[in-house]
Amino acid sequence: MILLDKLAYSSPIRQKSPAVKSLFSVGSLLLCVGFRQTNVCMLVFLFMMFCTLRFANVSAKKYFHLMLMPFVFLMLSSVAILFFVSSTPPELLSIPFFSRYIGISKASFSHWYQLMTVAFSSVACLYFLILTTPITDLLTVLRKLHCPRLFLELMLLIYRAIFVMLDIASAIQTAQNCRLGNRSFRSKLSCMGQMLSVMLVRSLKKSSILYDAMESRFYDGKIRVMEESYPATARDWILCGGWLIFCTILCLILS
Amino acid sequence: MKKSEKRLFTLSVAAALLFAMPTSASAMHIMEGYLPMGHAIAWGALCLPFLAAGFISIKKTVSQHRKTLLILAMAGAYAFVLSSLKLPSVTGSSSHPTGTGLGAILFGPAAMCVIGVIVLLFQALLLAHGGLTTLGANTFSMAIAGPFLSYGVYRLCRKYKVNKSVSVFLATALGDLFTYCITSVQLGIAHPSAEGGVTASIATFMGIFAVTQIPLAIVEGLLSVVVILAFESYASSELSELAYANY
Repeated sequence: MILLDKLAYSSPIRQKSPAVKSLFSVGSLLLCVGFRQTNVCMLVFLFMMFCTLRFANVSAKKYFHLMLMPFVFLMLSSVAILFFVSSTPPELLSIPFFSRYIGISKASFSHWYQLMTVAFSSVACLYFLILTTPITDLLTVLRKLHCPRLFLELMLLIYRAIFVMLDIASAIQTAQNCRLGNRSFRSKLSCMGQMLSVMLVRSLKKSSILYDAMESRFYDGKIRVMEESYPATARDWILCGGWLIFCTILCLILS
Repeated sequence: MKKSEKRLFTLSVAAALLFAMPTSASAMHIMEGYLPMGHAIAWGALCLPFLAAGFISIKKTVSQHRKTLLILAMAGAYAFVLSSLKLPSVTGSSSHPTGTGLGAILFGPAAMCVIGVIVLLFQALLLAHGGLTTLGANTFSMAIAGPFLSYGVYRLCRKYKVNKSVSVFLATALGDLFTYCITSVQLGIAHPSAEGGVTASIATFMGIFAVTQIPLAIVEGLLSVVVILAFESYASSELSELAYANY
């Protein structure tokens, strides 16, 4: 999981402006979801895939695995969208079910097809953003968008604390495995429960230590961090704007 | 093969298919791009009053006790890590707990909804669970509806002097189930079935997700009981810092 974070930090275009990268991926995402044009979505999907493979530090195999992550959700929900029960046999596929039919009709198939293209192209947009921009850079973008300060500080602190806690969790799990824990369902349940409660105690202790450390460094209710700034070049803005305008025009022509 | 053997074989194949599914991603998060724009905006707008109320209450507390900010941050990280851990399961498939019910009992539902949005955003950005356009819908089901129900059930059980373990179990398991019902409703409204419309579609979604979610809810309920019991026995001094101590 935190692998995605590592990949973001090691991306070759990490030094590009996070604002341009966010605009590029979120803009394309909104166009896909807003217009729901299957052809444009396909184009966005292919272009995002190309950009991610070219500009992010992932191999094609790894990328394919990442794209399969939402597969279960997709599979389960596709069944509900594709198939339906009706009294007349549907056109594409029909299975008799008592006195009625379960099947796929042309309408349900085209609805499903549209949904698949939109969903996959938006996931591709999301992956481009995740794999090229670390969270700290995204916080800078959010700050520029005037997100409330308290919210940003919470995000910053939570982001730091996640890694501390994952370390604690994995250390405890290793210790439990060394002592023959996690053998059966019962022991797994009790091990995990104990680990979670110890983690809660530790995290509360940590937060109190962190507070003392901040107080001793003149914490006055505001967290000030140095920001790295990656200014955007005019070329980046033009390329990004051009792509978004091109997609919008394409959507408008096709719809 | 005899007829009974054949039947047994088919059943075992079906069971294998059912349980061998790689449920590595939580099936609860609505995937990126899955909801039409109008729905995404509407669900987001529905979350705003809750978020604003939670935000104002947090701001007030933080201005009085600065330390609360750090406790809330730790709570958020805890909820994130909890939801990224693999739940023990009987079948060998791996799935993740939602953790929001436990969070609501420990930290209170108002704080949980602000923390929940941040956690869901991080889940989208760090784990690719859920997404940016579906953030509103996911927030409503996982950070608002589930926690509020869990909290309500817990308070109600405590009021009628139900055993603590039973009330924690009921609160978290029902909160989990409620989250999944809301998700099904969201999906059903967004994608009505060709015949039977919204209600038929909601029923289908519920039926399908029930396969994974009902066992998950039970395991999560059991787990939360273990956590709360162990927590009470280890850490009475830390307890006073949480909302949990107040009831």
